[in-house]
Amino acid sequence: MARERERDPGVETVSSVCDSSWALFFILKNKYLLEPCASGEIVVNEVSFVRKCIGADSSHGDLWGKLICTNFKVSFITHDALPKQRFQVANRLLGEHDVPLACVEQVVTVNDAKGKQKVLCSNQKLKFNPTELILYCKDFRIIRFRFDEAGPQSAKKVCLAIAHYSQPADPQLLFGFEYVGKQYYGSLVNGVDPGGGLQMPLFDRPSEWDREIKRTGASEWRVCSINEGYVVSPSLPEYVVVPVSLADQDLKQYLCFFTAHRIPLWCWNHPNGSALVRMASISDPLQQRKLDQRICSAITKSHPQRSDVLKSDLDKNLPNIQDIQAAFVKVRHICVIEPFEESEEKWLSSMESSRWLEYVRAFLKHSAEVVYLLEGKHVSVILQEEEDRDLSCVVSSLVQLMLDPHFRSLTGFQSLVQKEWVMAGHRFLHRCNHLKKNDKEESPLFQLFLDCVWQIINQYPAAFEFTETYLTVLSDSMWIPVFSTFLFNCPQQRTENSMDFAKSKCIPMGEEKALRFPPVWDWSQQFTPKDQALFNNPMYVGKGATCVQNGTVKSFRRTKKNYSSTLRGMPSSLRNILMDGHDSLTLTRRNSLVPRLKPDFSQIREVVESPTERFFRDWVSRPADLQGMLIPQLLPSHLALWRLYFLRWVPEASIPKGGPVTAYHKLSQLADEVEKLQSQLRQYKGATPASTPTSNPSAPPSDHSRMYFKAGSTHEPSSIPEYLSSSFPFSPVGNMCRRSILGTPLSKFLNGAKTWLSTETLANEAL
Amino acid sequence: MKDVEVSAKPYWEIRVTKVAIAGSPRSTSTSRSDRSTHAAKTPYAMSSDNVSTSTEFSPELRGRPKAAAKVLRDSNKEEPQLLPKESVQDMAKDVTYICPYIGALRGTLTVTNYRLFFRCMDREPAFVLDLPLGVVSRVEKIGGASSRGEVSYGLVCKDIRNLRFAHKQMEDSLRKSIFEILMKFAFPVSNGLPIFAFEYGQVYPENGWKVYDAQAEYKRQGIPNESWRITKVNDHYEVCDTYPSNLVVPVNIPDEELKRVAAFRAKGRIPVLSWIHPESQATVTRCSQPMVGVNGKRSKDDEKYLQAIMDANAQSHKLFIFDARPSVNAAANKMKGGGYESEDAYQNAELVFLDIHNIHVMRESLRKLKEVVYPNIEESHWLSNLESTHWLEHIKLILAGALRIADKVESGKTSVVVHCSDGWDRTAQLTSLAMLMLDGHYRTIRGFQVLLEKEWLSFGHRFQLRIGHGDKNHTDADRSPVFLQFIDCVWQITRQFPAAFEFNEYFLVTILDHMYSCLFGTFMCNSEQQRVKEELPKKTVSLWAYINSQLEEFTNPLYVNYSNHVLFPVVSMRHLELWVGYYIRWNPRMRPQEPVHQRYKELLAKRAELQKRVEELQRDVTNRSASSTERAGSPTRSITPVQTFV
Repeated sequence: MARERERDPGVETVSSVCDSSWALFFILKNKYLLEPCASGEIVVNEVSFVRKCIGADSSHGDLWGKLICTNFKVSFITHDALPKQRFQVANRLLGEHDVPLACVEQVVTVNDAKGKQKVLCSNQKLKFNPTELILYCKDFRIIRFRFDEAGPQSAKKVCLAIAHYSQPADPQLLFGFEYVGKQYYGSLVNGVDPGGGLQMPLFDRPSEWDREIKRTGASEWRVCSINEGYVVSPSLPEYVVVPVSLADQDLKQYLCFFTAHRIPLWCWNHPNGSALVRMASISDPLQQRKLDQRICSAITKSHPQRSDVLKSDLDKNLPNIQDIQAAFVKVRHICVIEPFEESEEKWLSSMESSRWLEYVRAFLKHSAEVVYLLEGKHVSVILQEEEDRDLSCVVSSLVQLMLDPHFRSLTGFQSLVQKEWVMAGHRFLHRCNHLKKNDKEESPLFQLFLDCVWQIINQYPAAFEFTETYLTVLSDSMWIPVFSTFLFNCPQQRTENSMDFAKSKCIPMGEEKALRFPPVWDWSQQFTPKDQALFNNPMYVGKGATCVQNGTVKSFRRTKKNYSSTLRGMPSSLRNILMDGHDSLTLTRRNSLVPRLKPDFSQIREVVESPTERFFRDWVSRPADLQGMLIPQLLPSHLALWRLYFLRWVPEASIPKGGPVTAYHKLSQLADEVEKLQSQLRQYKGATPASTPTSNPSAPPSDHSRMYFKAGSTHEPSSIPEYLSSSFPFSPVGNMCRRSILGTPLSKFLNGAKTWLSTETLANEAL
Repeated sequence: MKDVEVSAKPYWEIRVTKVAIAGSPRSTSTSRSDRSTHAAKTPYAMSSDNVSTSTEFSPELRGRPKAAAKVLRDSNKEEPQLLPKESVQDMAKDVTYICPYIGALRGTLTVTNYRLFFRCMDREPAFVLDLPLGVVSRVEKIGGASSRGEVSYGLVCKDIRNLRFAHKQMEDSLRKSIFEILMKFAFPVSNGLPIFAFEYGQVYPENGWKVYDAQAEYKRQGIPNESWRITKVNDHYEVCDTYPSNLVVPVNIPDEELKRVAAFRAKGRIPVLSWIHPESQATVTRCSQPMVGVNGKRSKDDEKYLQAIMDANAQSHKLFIFDARPSVNAAANKMKGGGYESEDAYQNAELVFLDIHNIHVMRESLRKLKEVVYPNIEESHWLSNLESTHWLEHIKLILAGALRIADKVESGKTSVVVHCSDGWDRTAQLTSLAMLMLDGHYRTIRGFQVLLEKEWLSFGHRFQLRIGHGDKNHTDADRSPVFLQFIDCVWQITRQFPAAFEFNEYFLVTILDHMYSCLFGTFMCNSEQQRVKEELPKKTVSLWAYINSQLEEFTNPLYVNYSNHVLFPVVSMRHLELWVGYYIRWNPRMRPQEPVHQRYKELLAKRAELQKRVEELQRDVTNRSASSTERAGSPTRSITPVQTFV
């Protein structure tokens, strides 16, 4: 696949792209036939005879090659093969050892002879010749290069170039602009077509909002275009949905009272008529009450039952973006930076102290409570946040995922992210910190959201059309700076930057408002159709899934499940009988060998159940309808670490021939067989009784199977492929680890007596 | 419209209290137990706080009035469906069950010679609690008569539950309280009564006692061979009364020498073969500690014996001795005459301590775990609370030890000797787990039964003492969750290799539940000798008879039998997790599910349906083309039957 993208090896001078004042480096065309080169990509600097470290203990298995810094990525070109059988999903924009510059979190140079180490930033000087370069990546990889045999000066220059180019001074220096700009010069590039061929709404047109209104039956809501050309609010999309009872005139009157002129945005309508709305805070306290009333009354009027409106203040109930960033930094540190074995002993408490899972749970819980209001209380809900651009993105999308099965399909999910994140003005540029300018703005809200989605997938694995691989790849795509999805703070910024860039490069944009950045949803930019099959969940029970097939095969009846029916709430008379057990029952705990009874019972207190809790309990007691509402289980014991995402690059944590993928493998093969049978059946159906079948039903089915793993041939026994591991489809091989993992699994565990060993224990042992 | 107020508090407050919100009481086991309850054959519903009748109101049944009517009739019964030879001993109305999740429930309590059955009719559907008395560890009267004139009783259960009941004080003080009856039947051994397993006479199609045949199992391993023989020296349990009668020893050690070796090993538990590698001939052997003592006693016979074990494997000139204990504990044992092999005496042996703690530490750890998980989970400090129990850390050390053993045998082609102090707790954990990693046969349902019969039951893991079947002495220091830990370890491996085991989670839960239930004879007694003496195979039913009569329930549909595949689990806290489906199953907020398996079964059914349709159409086409003039190009031949995995 890499070869395909060599069409533009790119002979050009650096000066056309690089505003840097320092030395220019010229590139010879014929030297780079090996590596894939994306359109608009140019080589900045390179150094040969570089060693990429594979094992940490020894140089055994290390790879020799050339380290190259382009305006897009850090590339390592080698003829050596990795020491172990491996698998890694191939990205069309990147070679197997490549790291996009936007993915580089920190550049560390080391000179071990001098005992020096320096974190390199843009435009910095380096006083020593580096013997080693370590790249800490945003996707949790840690990659180490050695320069023992390399030219010291060239090595230094490459390090400086990487540091410089990974911290662009201006958004227009992000590679996406060059990448997209290229296509406007003649017919150079074929592919880039924003949304073209994509069967999903991007919500940049009024018609797409209209369709969403119709789909959800929100008849009392309308598309409003007062922000066309971003005239009233730069951070809002051009088209928003508002209650029909609010005229443009009213909105214009209200908007100045809202933070950043962000008037309430309609998100979604429940079939019962309740609406989910998001809104910024009201900046003028004097207007607050009046405005609140007006907005709420308008929303009430749009409800068929004229139900109430409740407001949920997200800022007060959820962690803020700095908290979330701090938790993410900690969890990442525990997972990938700390030495594997040292972190084992306190693993659980360290995880807890990172607070990441606590935050994941907080967002899921809050969203579930909003679900209760919409579904259980039939009221409309306003999510309110200061600027309505961070926490509300997470909560509104989670609520919709829980309530609307449409969003659990692949295109549905993508349209959800497009609607609640991209169009609603989530500051991807700042939150990703692509420019590495303001660390305070950096916050992994989107990753948090993906983790929340994963938790629901983990609990209801058949409810989503996509896999955890999809979520992981989506997160990684944030660090490939060519997609409109993750490059900007809001749609208006995209337009503005496009204009500026087009002007400076004399790009003829014609009638277009913005450059044609591909959305990340155009997955063909990154992956072959075969690899995209890794996104498909073989278990998915959806409308379009295997159950329904051109009306001939009856919808599949699910096997009987033994779930209890709803247990109703307990009469209050019963509650009164409750014994309060904790009064007289305290027993001293001196002898640890004597099990204690009474304290156990002291935990029984009066059971008071809130309506929300009762709603959840009722729901849990019924069989889950995967095409209906889904509420995640919120006990802390039921939230798990998303291992694929956090641990895929850690060699020691990788389970060879194991992990959930082994089940996925088996399921995919079976789902593939079912698909093949269905297509056979269709071919038979197509044949008219009088004639012989037009197409031979026994012909091999066309290769558009949804499944990555195909059903094996009849004679071949099904077995687990060697390359499967818990990291699949990623490979931890080549990522830095503290200890060598080559050889037997002996290195994988701990020794040493533990500290809790008491003298009492010893005495008992001798008994 | 409602005036919307923006206050500091959210509109709906998140009620985060330690007290559980009452949920519909359900659990993983519940759904399954329900299923089995109505499978007619089933001996015992793994009663959770809720169980049985409620399930019958599943949507499918609701649509069928007849079935529903029948169900309703059943659910109105106040008594449980009795098993053969089960009889009601006492019944009391107006008993209150204080459910930690739902609150107080008033109903009827029935005690039989096998179970406790509580039913609350005030609720719709009726609330049922059905638990075998075998799981009761302790019954305690709490406090005196309260103001309401009620007495309350607490039941501590072996399966991570505590139950609490209250009822009116008997006016007639001569009459025994139902709880006194309960105590009598919960602890039959202490009251001179037979354990229910000896009365239960259900007949199953298969005799579960025939699942394990030592000779057949050794034959499967290729034994006897040129290096190993089966000795009859322990036929009458004279050399070692806690060992089985069939022992595999090196060919060149005569029985007389075995007896001398036995004198040097604690309880006469000499090193014997557990498993042999089919290719390298490296072996896993097990024994008890050598009786070295403070003076460092040696035994030429024992040294020669270990040398013989090493020599039986031509691939390696080394022998690894894995002492499961922490080295300090092993050293402390010298005071009692025990100890460990000195490397001076055993020239080619290397001794490794695996740092696994003793039964007392494990019991304490489980006690702490129970406090953390039952009845409710403290939301804010879940992980650190879990860590403070050290439960997972113990699990990790056991798995790590087994992994080292498996790695030595598989990768190092080296024979290993495994022991702890007596060689019936930690040693059983280690050898059986290592064998599970090394040999795919043990990952099948029947193979796993063989593994338990062999490494645990025949080699004398003292189930009677460790569980305390029918014994009221709940503080007995011999009780310990050693076997539970082993099953937990197995579960951890199944999590890492979801397609490598023929059995599912329910199989493991069922084994544990029936280890306590005292319904089957399988886990009775402490050794093979005792089982023979008690005539267990004649007088009781084996758990395997029950399990093998409904294998479908216990089968993992994702199972792939890859032969010769050694499993090397990653023994790291990053992958170990608390077995929620066992320890937290009583919490009604837990939704029972095995959706992946469920979905796979659905797809299998769908495939079968599609295959049938394709075949039908194929036949049609063939018939048509046969009746027409041309026969060429018949699609029949070219459509290959679709591969079947299972």
